[in-house]
Amino acid sequence: MVAAWKSAGLTYNRYLAVAAQAVRRSLKDGPRVAAERRGVMELRFAKWENGKQGESKALGQANVEAMASNAGSK
Amino acid sequence: MSSLRFARAALRARPSAFAAPFQRRGYAEAVSDKLKLSLVLPHQTIFQSTGVVQVNIPAESGEMGVLANHVPSIEQLKPGLVEVIEESGANKKFFLSGGFAVVQPNSQLSVNAVEGFPLEDFSPDAVRSQIAEAQKIAGGNGSEQDIAEAKIELEVLETLQAVLK
Repeated sequence: MVAAWKSAGLTYNRYLAVAAQAVRRSLKDGPRVAAERRGVMELRFAKWENGKQGESKALGQANVEAMASNAGSK
Repeated sequence: MSSLRFARAALRARPSAFAAPFQRRGYAEAVSDKLKLSLVLPHQTIFQSTGVVQVNIPAESGEMGVLANHVPSIEQLKPGLVEVIEESGANKKFFLSGGFAVVQPNSQLSVNAVEGFPLEDFSPDAVRSQIAEAQKIAGGNGSEQDIAEAKIELEVLETLQAVLK
């Protein structure tokens, strides 16, 4: 049996991140504030071609697009 | 004649050898009957090779209880409750967000997860409001990925709600 998230193109890494985020948001206010900063990711990347920098993209957004294009192919 | 004296000396020496402190290592001492638990998160170590009696884990293949000398195995964990029964008889409960448990051959158990907190850190109100929100997204007409993510959240939150009751 393939998990629903897998057939939607989500990776196991994304599955864990979503589950962890739900756990963090369920905490009481004190530990939640300390924990929620761990879920923040602001990595950006750009592909260099022929010595020129390409478009700079947020990794999170690029991952979402990659997962959408993966959906249904498994 | 001298050999007889020797034998007698040996006879006399024997009981004292038994009375001497027991210095050989037998199986019972060499093999610990304790389970060594390491429960680790990327940002925190909750247990580090601590001797415990039993650990109950929510494996993808079903709930399992791990005791010392368990058969080696690797289990994927569902988001759920991990129960640690310590040697004092105390029972500690943690909610983990999912990860892996590895039972090693020498009675070592390593549990890795992304997030894990003791139950008293959770707020039932926050769980309830998130369930309502996730149900809205799961039943809405967002992208396939958004719906899948909302369903993952629902799975986590419903387990958490059942555990908190």
